[in-house]
Amino acid sequence: MGSMFRSEEVALVQLFLPTAAAYTCVSRLGELGLVEFRDLNASVSAFQRRFVVDVRRCEELEKTFTFLQEEVQRAGLVLPPPEGRLPAPPPRDLLRIQEETERLAQELRDVRGNQQALRVQLHQLQLHAAVLGQGHSPQLAATHTYGASERTPLLQAPGGPHQDLRVNFVAGAVEPHKAPALERLLWRACRGFLIASFRELERPLEHPVTGEPATWMTFLISYWGEQIGQKIRKITDCFHCHIFPFLEQEEARRAALQQQSQELQEVLGETERFLSQVLGRVQQLLPPAQVQVRKMKAVYLALNQCSMSTTHKCLIAETWCAARDLPALQEALRDSSMEEGVSAVAHRIPSRDMPPTLIRTNRFTASFQGIVDAYGVGRYQEVNPAPYTIVTFPFLFAVMFGDVGHGLLMFLFALAMVLAENRPAMKAAQNEIWQTFFGGRYLLLLMGLFSVYTGFIYNECFSRASSIFPSGWSVAAMANQSGWSDAFLAQHTMLTLDPNVTGVFLGPYPFGIDPIWSLAANHLSFLNSFKMKMSVILGVVHMAFGVVLGVFNHMHFGQRHRLLLETLPELTFLLGLFGYLVFLVIYKWLRVSATNAASAPSILIHFINMFLFSHSPTNRPLYPRQEVVQAMLVVLALAMVPVLLLGTPLHLLHRHRRRRRRPTGRKQEDKAGLLGLPDASVNCWGSDEEKAGGLEDEQEAELVPSEVFMHQAIHTIEFCLGCVSNTASYLRLWALSLAHAQLSEVLWAMVMRIGLGLGREVGVAAVVLVPIFATFAVMTVAILLVMEGLSAFLHALRLHWVEFQNKFYSGTGYKLSPFTFAAAED
Amino acid sequence: VRVRRPARLTTLGARLLRMRSALPSRGPENLQRPPLGPASRLGIPRPAMTAHSFALPVIIFTTFWGLIGIAGPWFVPKGPNRGVIITMLVATAVCCYLFWLIAILAQLNPLFGPQLKNETIWYVRFLWE
Repeated sequence: MGSMFRSEEVALVQLFLPTAAAYTCVSRLGELGLVEFRDLNASVSAFQRRFVVDVRRCEELEKTFTFLQEEVQRAGLVLPPPEGRLPAPPPRDLLRIQEETERLAQELRDVRGNQQALRVQLHQLQLHAAVLGQGHSPQLAATHTYGASERTPLLQAPGGPHQDLRVNFVAGAVEPHKAPALERLLWRACRGFLIASFRELERPLEHPVTGEPATWMTFLISYWGEQIGQKIRKITDCFHCHIFPFLEQEEARRAALQQQSQELQEVLGETERFLSQVLGRVQQLLPPAQVQVRKMKAVYLALNQCSMSTTHKCLIAETWCAARDLPALQEALRDSSMEEGVSAVAHRIPSRDMPPTLIRTNRFTASFQGIVDAYGVGRYQEVNPAPYTIVTFPFLFAVMFGDVGHGLLMFLFALAMVLAENRPAMKAAQNEIWQTFFGGRYLLLLMGLFSVYTGFIYNECFSRASSIFPSGWSVAAMANQSGWSDAFLAQHTMLTLDPNVTGVFLGPYPFGIDPIWSLAANHLSFLNSFKMKMSVILGVVHMAFGVVLGVFNHMHFGQRHRLLLETLPELTFLLGLFGYLVFLVIYKWLRVSATNAASAPSILIHFINMFLFSHSPTNRPLYPRQEVVQAMLVVLALAMVPVLLLGTPLHLLHRHRRRRRRPTGRKQEDKAGLLGLPDASVNCWGSDEEKAGGLEDEQEAELVPSEVFMHQAIHTIEFCLGCVSNTASYLRLWALSLAHAQLSEVLWAMVMRIGLGLGREVGVAAVVLVPIFATFAVMTVAILLVMEGLSAFLHALRLHWVEFQNKFYSGTGYKLSPFTFAAAED
Repeated sequence: VRVRRPARLTTLGARLLRMRSALPSRGPENLQRPPLGPASRLGIPRPAMTAHSFALPVIIFTTFWGLIGIAGPWFVPKGPNRGVIITMLVATAVCCYLFWLIAILAQLNPLFGPQLKNETIWYVRFLWE
């Protein structure tokens, strides 16, 4: 069979890496991605491991890298992706990378600091210039012309000596949102002793730190009195205003300010040019360095998982490796250690733990393996349901989705994705939903294809039936023989064709459902009966297939007793009861015809009476001696239950007791024969409980009877009750296909049919059909394709995960996740 | 031929009636159906309802899916995917054949016939046959 039938053979391989070559060997292994390292130092904390210093150095470097990356991104530049093969650098290169990055980071910090300071200074200068330039002239003019009257206080100061009546000015700038509050506070505190005028700047200035433009408000406060002056200064301090000295003759001052600000801008320009140079160097250096340091850290983390040999000359590593890759592994080790002049070896050792599962997939089979693995990764070397799922999953989906038109749309969409899959635009898309659809393109392709087929069988294309072959029902024959004149037809709105009348039913439609049924009012009566029986038949076949797949598991794991004690009773139970139901259905289809349709036997009543051992007089038997046969089958099936319940545990107990009674030498011989060497794994006593107890059940030292009986009782109950409930569960095939057909029908009848029936004049219908068809198309895609598609997908998945897989699949394994740099490079 | 129009006739029924009145009357005594229906007057040759055999489709489809499922695996080229392709072929053949077989068996001996509206009966009777 193909490689997907069960997991590949995975071996435990012990590597001896001489210390000089350990780093290069592990780095080479990371490039190849063949082996999964087992942690031999699990009991040691991360801080006490051998290479913790190197790991820490790498991590610090990564911190510096993050800082540099943020700076680059803040400047709006983009880091180019690294090109070429970048192997993990040898340890001595780490120092060089470290020095360079430190230097760059320091330069960057300095330059940024300078730039910041310069910008703050520039901002101040600009504010000062703006304040001085603001035309607070009316106020100034006022102080000049009405000097005398302004100098008298508006309110008589309460007593006291004559205060200083000279007018002073406070000029400054305040942030716009604080200006009203400042104004209010000044008014409340110093009312009557000051005049404040606020003006907004014409153009906004950039904030030095955040770079956001803000329009500042400049103010000029003229006041008199020393205490008022102090109050004003305190208030403006509170509001973080910038205060500048204000003198009345300002022209020279302003020119000086202009010159200063120009010089400052030149210096700032130079600084920014230098900054961009530094950033350019960072852009060149950073991407490859990041990749290299990441790889180096991964190598050190892997080396931390190895243990040191007693002579301290060698590192011992235990890895899981596919048996097929062992020669490649040995060659890689040989090559990379040859450079150092030493030789590293790898040899296989036996293991008692359950190895990880490895199933190689290509891009087509990967999505199907993915949906099986989503339930649970298979135990090592148990039968993999994925190769069968490639066909049965799309098929069961299609049974629930069957419509030629919808299937065709799905198929074309998937085909477009498949044909364009190698374009880089597809892989670079960030949208998660698109990525999900793209990842399942082969799944969608097959689902669409099978849906077209089942659509032809259900004879539905956007809910319309098509007559590829002429129908098997003749209306004319019925009309002629029953005397359906026009008057008769006018009086009766509904008339039924009777298959008993000769010439009415001319034979079964050769491919699918007869198109006459789509015109019939009792369309659903026929279809429901057909689809329910179809669901039960498909369900029983699917489940029987699952039980049969269990045979391969039993044979592979050497548990042949289970063939007789489990598989046979299970198949007898399932087929004896539900296989018999399928037989009844098919027998009735073949033998009961319309001639005695009124007294046609009801399968449901027969089935119920079979279990209750009772008899309905009105329900005639399908074949002679039916009751005897049914009674025998029920008794046989019930007899299988104790076999299933007690067979395997008794057999295991018996064998265990028999082995115990034999001389003990035989047992050791057995063990030695099976294992070869005494267990050479360094890690054998530290194994997890999940991984233990895989392959050789017979070698269990202790067999606890109660556990075995309990386990088997659970399995028996699960199987027997599951047979009934799972068979009924397959009726969802009927339910969903009915829902899909009805939704499709409603959409057609309510949207398109009304649209096609509108307007007798030429042209009206054409114009009206455009929005109507648009509605129809949008709703088809949204409701019928997306919603129903997801629904049918989910139910098909559930049928596989629960009803099919619980007959044979345990799914308690773990995947081989090899040590590779490919994941780290993302 | 004058036909009394019933009160609940729709426009479609009216149109059919006008067509039907243009055709020669066919009474219940006329049981021999011409091999080509009246639709041939419109220039479309349409066969009458033909009897469908059961054996012929069974033979054809069994052979078809049998070729795919039983003979196909022998022709799959050797390669790493041989097992998977064979599994797919066999599974497809089994599933599709079973589904088709269920559909045709369910219609082999119908216990009841379709219940049609009177307009449908008019339409089908005179346009399909």
